Amino acid sequence: MQLEIRLYATLRQYAPPGSIAGVFSLELPEGKTVDALAEAIGICPDKVHMRMVNGIGVAGSHHLKDHDRVGLFPPVGGG
Amino acid sequence: MTTADSLAQLQDGRMPQRYLRNLGTIGIAGQIRLLQAKVAVVGAGGLGGHVVELLARQGVGELLIIDGDSFAQHNWNRQILSTEKNLGMNKALAAAERVAAINSDTQVQAVSRMLEPKAAEAWLGGMDVIVDALDSFAARRMLLQAAQNLRIPLVHGAIAGFTGQVATILPDEKIMPEFLIGETMATSGVELQLGNPAATPAMAAALQSQEVVKLITGVGETLRRQILYFDMEYNLFEKIQLKERV
Repeated sequence: MQLEIRLYATLRQYAPPGSIAGVFSLELPEGKTVDALAEAIGICPDKVHMRMVNGIGVAGSHHLKDHDRVGLFPPVGGG
Repeated sequence: MTTADSLAQLQDGRMPQRYLRNLGTIGIAGQIRLLQAKVAVVGAGGLGGHVVELLARQGVGELLIIDGDSFAQHNWNRQILSTEKNLGMNKALAAAERVAAINSDTQVQAVSRMLEPKAAEAWLGGMDVIVDALDSFAARRMLLQAAQNLRIPLVHGAIAGFTGQVATILPDEKIMPEFLIGETMATSGVELQLGNPAATPAMAAALQSQEVVKLITGVGETLRRQILYFDMEYNLFEKIQLKERV
């Protein structure tokens, strides 16, 4: 399946070289979870605080499908 | 001018001069609601300082400001209430002084103590809206619990580096709070690495203040059941829909 990935803030360093603003496309086998996607790009799932698929907040165990647009966000807690 | 004078003018169908530029957005009915509203701002640092400033100027009638911390030099880069003259001063008391200088219609109660589980509900009872302007996950969890127990809407805001997030949580909604305040017992987020620059808390606080105004006046749509996440390094804005807990 083809996914569009968006990485934010400290997670952006895991985007492949050449990607702009942490946005890139990725090919993964069908049915992988969001946590598996994070691991596939070298991010420990513990470092991901919010996960968004097609604009909706989901858990790490959420199963992905072709053309999903996935956003991964680190924890933000400052004031 | 007093609050009663402003309310009398408004009830007579006239916008007081000091609120004239609010007329086109919230109208006279909205201004009356704001002047009759009670808003708690918990935390008077990077977020809370701007929230207090904006809500006092907009004309909220009563502000309860809670912060047990005092100004230090590392606050100067972003905390609008901190100056070279008030180093060491309690932040809630500095906020009260600022409001008194801005708008005599706004009554302030300053609590110069940190939020405590036992006292939180006693302090916050009777508020119309609570603003989360804190800086740790533990304190945010405590505040969210108090807001839910008291059935008071909460406007959450948090920042780290160029990024920030704002959300409005209504008492009848069982959204997953771990989206806001962490699934783990971590005490803080990536702000430890990215820091807290000048513009990011101002941005989040402006969004939070507008949420408060919308909640009280009924104008527009609030960020209920969603998080607005912004990343100003690349001018990215995402609205993340939150599902209700089953």
